[in-house]
Formats: sequence, C-alpha cells, structure tokens
Amino acid sequence: MLQRIRGAPPRYWLVGVVVLFFVGFPTVISSFLASEWAQALILAIAIMGLNILVGYSGQLSLGHGAFMALGAYTSAILAHHFKMDIVATIPIAGLLTGLVGFVFGIPALRLSALYLALATFALAVVTPSLIKRPAGLTGGVQGIILTQPDPPGFAQSAYGFLTGTAMTSDQWIYYICLFCALILFWFAWNLVRHRPGRAMRAIRDGEVAAAASGVNIAGYKTLAFGISAFYAGIAGALFALATGFVSPDTFPVSLSIQLLVGAVVGGLASIPGPLLGAIFAYFLPIESSQWVPSQSWIPDQIASTVKNAGPAVTYGAVLILIMIFAPNGIVGLVYRGYVALNRRLRGAADRETGQMPPNPQTV
Amino acid sequence: MQAFLQQVVSGIAIGGIFASLALALVLIYNAMGLVNFAQGEMAMLATFVAYALISRGMSYWIAFPVTLVLAFGGGVVIQRVVIRPVERAPILTLVIITLGLATLLNGLAGFMFGYVPRSFPSAFSAQTIDLLGVFISYRDLGVIVVSGLVLLAVYLLLQHTTVGLTLRAAAHHPEASRLLGVQVSWMLGLGWGLAAAVGAVSGIMVAPILLLEPNMMQSIIIYAFAAAVLGGIESPLGAVVGGLTVGVTVNLAGAYIPFVGGDLQLAVGLAIIIVVLIIRPNGLFGRAATRRV
Amino acid sequence: MTALLEMEAVHAGYGQTSVLHGVSLSVPDGSVVSLLGANGAGKTTTLRAITGGVRWTGDIRFGGRSLRRMSTEDVVRGGIAHVPEGRGILTELTVDENLRLGSHLRRDTKEVRKDYDRVFEYFPVLKERRGLSASTLSGGEQQMLALARAFLMKPRLMLLDEPSLGLAPMIVRSIFEIIRSINQSSRVTVLLVEQNARIALDLSTRAYVLEVGRVAVEGESEELQGKESVRRSYLGY
Ligand SMILES: Nc1ncnc2c1ncn2[C@@H]1O[C@H](COP(=O)(O)OP(=O)(O)O)[C@@H](O)[C@H]1O
Ligand SMILES: [Mg+2]
Repeated sequence: MLQRIRGAPPRYWLVGVVVLFFVGFPTVISSFLASEWAQALILAIAIMGLNILVGYSGQLSLGHGAFMALGAYTSAILAHHFKMDIVATIPIAGLLTGLVGFVFGIPALRLSALYLALATFALAVVTPSLIKRPAGLTGGVQGIILTQPDPPGFAQSAYGFLTGTAMTSDQWIYYICLFCALILFWFAWNLVRHRPGRAMRAIRDGEVAAAASGVNIAGYKTLAFGISAFYAGIAGALFALATGFVSPDTFPVSLSIQLLVGAVVGGLASIPGPLLGAIFAYFLPIESSQWVPSQSWIPDQIASTVKNAGPAVTYGAVLILIMIFAPNGIVGLVYRGYVALNRRLRGAADRETGQMPPNPQTV
Repeated sequence: MQAFLQQVVSGIAIGGIFASLALALVLIYNAMGLVNFAQGEMAMLATFVAYALISRGMSYWIAFPVTLVLAFGGGVVIQRVVIRPVERAPILTLVIITLGLATLLNGLAGFMFGYVPRSFPSAFSAQTIDLLGVFISYRDLGVIVVSGLVLLAVYLLLQHTTVGLTLRAAAHHPEASRLLGVQVSWMLGLGWGLAAAVGAVSGIMVAPILLLEPNMMQSIIIYAFAAAVLGGIESPLGAVVGGLTVGVTVNLAGAYIPFVGGDLQLAVGLAIIIVVLIIRPNGLFGRAATRRV
Repeated sequence: MTALLEMEAVHAGYGQTSVLHGVSLSVPDGSVVSLLGANGAGKTTTLRAITGGVRWTGDIRFGGRSLRRMSTEDVVRGGIAHVPEGRGILTELTVDENLRLGSHLRRDTKEVRKDYDRVFEYFPVLKERRGLSASTLSGGEQQMLALARAFLMKPRLMLLDEPSLGLAPMIVRSIFEIIRSINQSSRVTVLLVEQNARIALDLSTRAYVLEVGRVAVEGESEELQGKESVRRSYLGY
C-alpha cells in the first residue's frame, strides 16, 4: 500500500493535497467565507461544462448562463411549487438541462462556429426577459425565494465529532457543492482520457480528418452539448441552493461572459483550468470591489465607479490579453514554465541541430 | 389601418438604426470573416463622445461628423492594437477577443461616464406631420433620412471609389490583392474604421430614444445580428433590407401580438436569428455556402 | 545588357520543409527568360520568393536594390507584376474592377487610358465582358484578364506562372504572341515559368531548368533547344 502511494506520479499527490484542502479549510474559516467558496466551486462546475464544449469539442457557446438559469429555475420551481427537497432537485435540474442542451446541440450541428457563437450570445442576452414571462411559474421580476436546508443529522454529528463545533447551513451547502464538484471533475477527467474525449478533440482539430478516421461527428458534438449543459444545469441548481434566491437579473449576459473568462483564464482543454479560472473569475470582482473602497486615498466617487465598472474592465482586458499572449491560460503558462525548467536542467543536449535558421524575411 | 401604417413607419425608422449597425457588422465580416461582438459597444462609446462634445457647447451638426471621424480613428486603432496581433488566429480566438473588447469598452464607458442614463438630444423635433393620413414625427423621418444617407454613402464608397474597390479586393482575396499592390493589413484597419463610423451613426440615432448609458446597445446589437443574419451576413444590401424588416417586424409584433408585448420584442430578434440560421443560413442575399470556420 | 533581376544562392521553403536549395539566376533588362522544370521542382516557389510570398535567405536584387525584408506590396509597387499560379483573378469582382485594380496605383492618367486601349486591342473579348463578373470568364479569358491586369500595372518585370496551363493550343499560341509583343513594344522584361518547354523556349532568349530546388541547366534558349541530351532528360520532348 505504502509502496503504491510512493510510486504514484506527482500529480496524484497534488490532486490529493488540493482535495484535502477543499475538504478541510471550511472548518477553519468563517461561515460567510465558506459560502463564497461554495459559489466559486459552483462557477468551477459550470466552467468545466463550458470547457468540455469549447475546449474539447471546439464549439463556442457564449450563452452558458442561459443553461445555468434553466437549472436554477428547474430546481427552484420544483422546490417552491412542488415542495420537493431542494437537494433532491439538483440531479433532476442537471438531467433536464442536459437533455435540453442535447436537443439544442442538434440544430447547432448545422451552424458554423461563428453562427453558433452569435446565436448563443443572443440567447444569453434574451434570457432574463424570457424568464420574466411565465410569471406564475418563475415569479416574474421578483423571482423565487427559497429556504436553505439545515444540515441533516448525520452531517451534524460527523462534523461535531471531527471539529467539536456545530455545522452551519452555509458549511453544509459548501460540502454539497464540493461533493458535486469532485464527482463532476472526476467524471470530466475520465471523459477526456477515454474514447469520447479523444473523439471530441479529433473533431475540434479537424472534422474532415475525424470523419475519415470513423468518428461519429454529429453524435459526439451533440453529446458534448448535452454533457456541457448538464454541468451548467447542476451548477445552476447549486447556485439556487447556495444563494437561496433566483431572479431574472441573477442571469445577465455578463454571467455568460464570466464563465468564458474563467474557462479562458484557467486554460481551455485542461482539467485543473476550470478550477483556477473559477477562482479568478469569482474572486476578482469581489476582492477589487472590497479593496478599492477600503483605500482612503481613493475618492469615494471614483471608488464607487471602479466598483461598478472594474470587473467589466478587468474581464475584458484579461480576455484580450490572455487570448493574445497566453491562449492556453494559467495551465498553459505553468506548463510552459515547467518545460523550460526541465530543458534548462537537462542542458542544451537535445537542441535542434542542422536546420538552416529561418530568415526573418516574412510573408 | 392608420395605426398600422404608423407602426410600420416607426418600424422603418428603428429599422434604419438596426441597418446601420448591421452594415457595420457586414463590413467587418467581409473584411475578415468575423462577427464583431464589440460593434454595439463601439457605437455606444462613440455616442458618449458625441454627448461630451455637444454638452461642451458644440452644435449637433458639427459634433455629428466630428464624432464619426473620431470613431473612424478609434476603429483603426482597435484593429491595429487588438486585432492585428491575432489576425491569423482561429476564429474562436477572434470571437473571444471581440467579446473581451465589448466587455472592456462597456466597462470603460461605465468608468468614465457612470451608469446613470442621460437624455441625448435629437436634431429633430418630436412634432408630427400628416403625410397622407399617417402621422409621422420629424424625429422618425429624420432618422430614416440620416440612416438612408449613411447607407448611400457607404454604398458609393464601396462601389464607386478606388478605396472601396481595394477594400473589397482585400476582403475577398487577400493574397491576390497583395500581388496587385493592395496593402491588405491597412485595408483591414480601414474596414474597422469604416465600420466604427457607420456603427456610431446607429448609436447617435438611437440614443434620444433609449437614453444614453453603457448598456444602451445591448438590445440593439441583437437586432443588428438578426438583421445581418436575415440579410445574409456578407451582403451590405442584405443588412439594409434585413434591418428594415427586423424593425418593422419587431414593432408590429410588439403592437399586435399580445403575447409579445413590450418585453418579449427582444425574443423576436432571437427567434429571427435562430429561424434564419436553421432554415436559410445564407440569409436573403448571401451567396450559398462560403462557410469560413 | 545589365541584369534587372538577380537571385543569388536563394534558399526558401514552407515552414520546416525547404524547397529551394541555393537558386541563382539573372534576368537581363528587356529580355524574356524561361524558368523550366518538372512539376514540384520549385518554379512557383522561386516566383513567390521574389514577391515575398515565402521566407527566403540569400539575396534577390531588382534593379540593383535588394528585396530583402520587403513586403509583397512594396515589391509589387516597386515595379514587379506577378501573375500567380491559378491566375489570381478576383472572382467576386467584375472584369473591369479587376483591370482597375491593376492600374489603381498609377497617377499617369493619360498613359493609363492609352494602356487600356492597348489592352482591349490585345484582348477584344475583355472589352465585351467589362461589366460581367470575372467568374463568368472561361479559363483562357481569365488568363487574358490576368495578363491584361499585369500589363496595366506598368511593371518593369512580369513574373508569369504557367500561362499555358489548362488552355487549348490555339489560345496558348495567341497568348504567347501577346507576351512577345508586350515584351518588345513596351520593353517589359519577362520571367516566364513553364512546364511546356517547347513553346517557352521559342519565346525566350535565356532559360534555366530547375530540378528539385536547384538549377540543373542554364543557357541560351536556342542552345538548349539544340541539345538533344538536355531536351530528353530535362525538357521531355
Ligand atoms: N504552400 C506550400 N506548403 C508546403 N509545401 C509546398 C507549398 N507549395 C509548394 N510546396 C512544395 O514545394 C515544392 C515545390 O513546389 P512548387 O514551387 O509549387 O513547384 P512547381 O511550381 O515547380 O511545380 C513541392 O514539393 C511542393 O509540394
Ligand atoms: Mg507551379
């Protein structure tokens, strides 16, 4: 047993440490911070969904906030109108959204990458007004207020036994989110390592070649849409649970952009990318909106403008800069650093030889 | 009947605004096979520039062309600074960059001008005249005339000047154009500048109606998408016809379909986009199947 | 005669694959020079190197000035008209618009008008089709349009990449006659890439034969035509 652990590659160790960290640290931080980290995990799930679609299958959705809205409202409506246990609604919301995503993926097959981006963007912009309309069901502009669940007995006693303190509702919700995130990241990891993931990447890198090697293009592209929407649906349901409230304004187009920022910053087509991207995309506006007003040297009026406009400016600038300078995001940068370090350690032994150096004469 | 015609006329007026923005989209699409998601925000920022000029005492009819020139310059700068480094990147990268640009410009406008909606002057009075039994406001009429003039100017520029010829050449066949001495990269800059100026017209025309604030163009860009897609995204004429059609359709749907009303008009725009893309992806005037992926 | 174009030990290629391995050639001012060779020998790549379409090392001089680091646009503006493989017709535009692109950089309006008259004398069919989309032209007519457009650029040097490709022999003959006349009466120097060696050698004074990216044979056209061994092994007739 010990042998096996020692023999494991370093990245398994890293995963173990990260998981332990996420399991352990809510016990030492405030209940409020735990709820913030729950939100970051929710974002990570949605971004992982987007990453499967964009990073692995090469289909760009600028409207994933709409799928989150669908999941959140499914969960809220089931809990509010049908008095279901809100935790039990989470898988239902995921499956329903996944199904809708799958169906959405069928007409999407006919669209070029550009048109798909355009249509999904339009969907994201229109989503809030679509939600408002069936007001009897969705609560219209007011939305739906939900009661957040208390931790069940087994969780209470386990938590009390391990930490000696009582578990709050926010901590319980955090652990639900963590549980979902772990499962879904594990699932994604398996997905991309096996046949479906290989097929999706083949399609992304060239449909003609993929078709020639026998990949079922239509099947895998719609599957990617379905899985991606499933993730967004789960994230939406968790979002309703963690916020205790859904309304049309919770799902503006900027949510979809936030998801895209997270996916791009973390690194498309990678597994740790969405987690890193989510932490960035979630905490950046929060931290900056707290930090700026706390600085006494910044005049109040400027501070309030910065608070409002800051996230958009940063998100926009980050999207542009990352796409120009580091299209593989944080993960790509880390990987590049790792390779450079390795090469330096191994010396110049395997430098390319012989070839005529390319002349800077350009096209 | 009279009420109906009135709806049609104001639909045409708003459609002219959509057409201007759609034309801006078409210009950039033709130049580089890209839908510019920042077109609306560029127009919004230009409108703020016009606002700043007018509120410093410049007359409307001087501020208007000055703004267009500044917008043109801004468009060229954006192409040089943001787009050129990634000119040959995959389309996904370019789309994400224009979306980033949209977000950035939106934030910058909020940063500089705040989020409080401001009333923007119109050059035309809100009084109406009776035209064959239909009451038309000078404002609608003015919007129609100005949009018409802009579209005409763009048409003349593209079809009847050497610059327009080289612009079109560079857009369709960059390699062959280079061999004829056309400076393709600058043509892209010019295309962005032109698109920015044309888009700015839509912002200035719509601001008196919607009130000026950073999110002003968020719905207009959806209608412009619908117009461009309906017309066939590579066709300037299509953008105009598409814009007018979308304007009238949305107006009539809002007035006569109770289910749509005021708040689902935007959904009509979305519906047009989706239906056209699925049934006839090349739109009304687009050539068949020149998919650039 | 002084050389208008000189290439010296030019290496060029696409990405990692190198195609030209040290090509040197010289095109005297006012002459027609043929560049021959089998398919894939590197003829097109040589022309692309001259107008900056591929990366290259070595030196290329035009009118005594090095073309190193110059963009395609600047090379072309300097007086080289390149009719590329496939003719480079802008099929979205009309015949007239294609011609206007040829002359769009010129400021000598009067001369331009005369040149248009010349062009329509050479190719009456283009005058008839002026308003039509260039995509409606036949292959031969497209080649005529490409030549006419190159002529309207008023170049000192024309690079022609297989003007005979895919055309009926009758049309090829008349096109080559016009190339000869452009060379002689307008003193335009021509570097002619051809697979059809016989007809190219008839027109040119000098010729180079490329073989896998190197000059295998060079000499006066007549001399090459006379050598049975050269004809057999390199020119295939
Ligand atoms: N765009 C390209 N990318 C990579 N290789 C190319 C490209 N164009 C030509 N080649 C290669 O360069 C070699 C020479 O091609 P080319 O110059 O077109 O020959 P020719 O014109 O004499 O037929 C060929 O082996 C061809 O495969
Ligand atoms: Mg060739």
